[in-house]
Amino acid sequence: MSDRTENLLLAVPGLALLSLAFFLPIGKMLVLSVSGPDGPTLEHFARFLGDPFYLGILWRTVRLSVVITLVSALIGFPLAYIMARVGPRLRLWLVVMVVLPLMTSVVVRTFGWMVVLSRNGLVPDTLRDLGLVGRTFSLMQTEAAIVIGMVQVLLPFMTLSILGVIGRIDGRLEEAARTMGCGFLGAVRTVVLPLSLPGIVAGSLLVFTLSASSFVTPNLLGGARIQVLAASIYKSVTQTLDWPFAAAQAIVLFAGILLVLAPYVRMTARRHG
Amino acid sequence: MKTALGPTILGLAVLLSGAALAQERTLVINSFGGAYETAHRKCVITPFEQATGAKVQVTTAYSADAFAQLRAQKDAPQYDVIHFSGGQEIVGAAEGLLAPIDAAKLPNAAELYDFAKANLAKGQGPAYSIAAIGLVYNSERAPKTPSSWKDLLDPAFGEHLVLTDISNGYGMLGFLMLNQVEGGSLDDIQPGLDAVGKLLDAGAIVVSTSPEIQQEFAQNDAWIAPYASDYAFTLRKAGLPAKFVQGAEGTPASFITANLVANRPNQDLALKFIDMTISKSAEECFADALRYSPTNAKAELAPDVAADVAYGEDAVKGLIRFDPATIEKNRAAWVEQWSKTIAR
Repeated sequence: MSDRTENLLLAVPGLALLSLAFFLPIGKMLVLSVSGPDGPTLEHFARFLGDPFYLGILWRTVRLSVVITLVSALIGFPLAYIMARVGPRLRLWLVVMVVLPLMTSVVVRTFGWMVVLSRNGLVPDTLRDLGLVGRTFSLMQTEAAIVIGMVQVLLPFMTLSILGVIGRIDGRLEEAARTMGCGFLGAVRTVVLPLSLPGIVAGSLLVFTLSASSFVTPNLLGGARIQVLAASIYKSVTQTLDWPFAAAQAIVLFAGILLVLAPYVRMTARRHG
Repeated sequence: MKTALGPTILGLAVLLSGAALAQERTLVINSFGGAYETAHRKCVITPFEQATGAKVQVTTAYSADAFAQLRAQKDAPQYDVIHFSGGQEIVGAAEGLLAPIDAAKLPNAAELYDFAKANLAKGQGPAYSIAAIGLVYNSERAPKTPSSWKDLLDPAFGEHLVLTDISNGYGMLGFLMLNQVEGGSLDDIQPGLDAVGKLLDAGAIVVSTSPEIQQEFAQNDAWIAPYASDYAFTLRKAGLPAKFVQGAEGTPASFITANLVANRPNQDLALKFIDMTISKSAEECFADALRYSPTNAKAELAPDVAADVAYGEDAVKGLIRFDPATIEKNRAAWVEQWSKTIAR
């Protein structure tokens, strides 16, 4: 058997699983999204794209995902740098600390945030004592609560992606920059940051796609009045039983994520071949 | 070989019959979670398991979700007995998802009020509890005792008002009543949506589930919520000074029904379960535990329990029932309009 055939055969189980579990359902959903009572139609897409309410939901989903990705990157990069530069013992504890939120159930964790952020919770109480907010201030059922809750659970993805890349950067490069007169921050900006860009891109990809398609946390923390696209799809599937429209919304979500990510990936790919 | 064949066949037969028996002795039902599910277990599920030796598997699903599941499972239903609180049984029976019930197979049906067993032959299961929708309020903090649905619009309640999303059965009925009070009808819900918009601008909040209402009353200084009488009792038991009052303009009622799902193997066991649900002792237990109004004419309630529910045939007949078929027909459009109204 030639090498080529051998490689192909090795790939067949994985390809079969991928097509069964991914391509087939996506295909069925594509068919469902253009199905109408009189045959194929684009009315579901037209309904979605022509209604400012749904466009608002799409914009909110994308906007929140971008914010969550930015915040995760801002927190994740320094954290990953510190984790890469400390000793192995401390690094282990830091990794455990970062991954710990992932080990609890998403619902339990979100309910914890509901207690901390509600009107009489820890955070608004402190802010009230400091005199910064009014008497009835509450962080619950706001977009800020969604960002906080999502960043907590997506930070490990970003941090560990960047950690892997920074760990492989030769420490002597930074030392060389420092001996040439660069300050600490300058060395990080000009040496570490460009070299860790692949890790940041990988982490951002993960965080963006996970937050754009997330449903439980935005639903519980944002409340009934702040809808993201995944929540709207859920409503269409279970409450209004409008499955073609739900499929159309899912396709729009998929396309939206691709549209935002493609230029990002192409931009960084060009820089690093 | 010859000697091994006999015992093998015998063993297989025992295994298969064991499996068949196990399948026959399990009943899959839905319940509504929280305090309701606890009472459901105490009043019906556990006595049923003890009496018949069968095992009951409970899935927590509100009526709208359970009905969506039933529709999706049309070719292979997973529930044996399904409970609805929003009138979904009327549409379910019309679509053939629920099986007609022979009243002769339900001995306790003879004791029910007529309206509670009106369409058994069409497939609509008997109503075993009635929830009256009115105003639940904090008797200590509310600036004045509410007495009518129009009081909800009083600016004094402002941001201490809790509205329930119409995905919840009681929330839907409360909204339709508010709509009616504002001049709307089942054909035109715009007055109701306008009123909700006004309330939201004044600071009211929207929740989706009943435990969230409890959280709002307990932690976030809520004073009033249009909801069911049974929930005021749940809040009182949790230590909150909650009281219930029926609105002067009328009291919408939610019939809670137990329905037989069509095309399932163990219909006799399911019918036994439904029969136990409508029995005198089960309905008294529900009224006692949760303050639901019983539909069994023979049910006897203690005076303090009777004061909290609609007791007696006349009291129960005076409740408003919004046509469930119209609600089900318009649900999709209403959910979309509601989402647009409450969106921020």
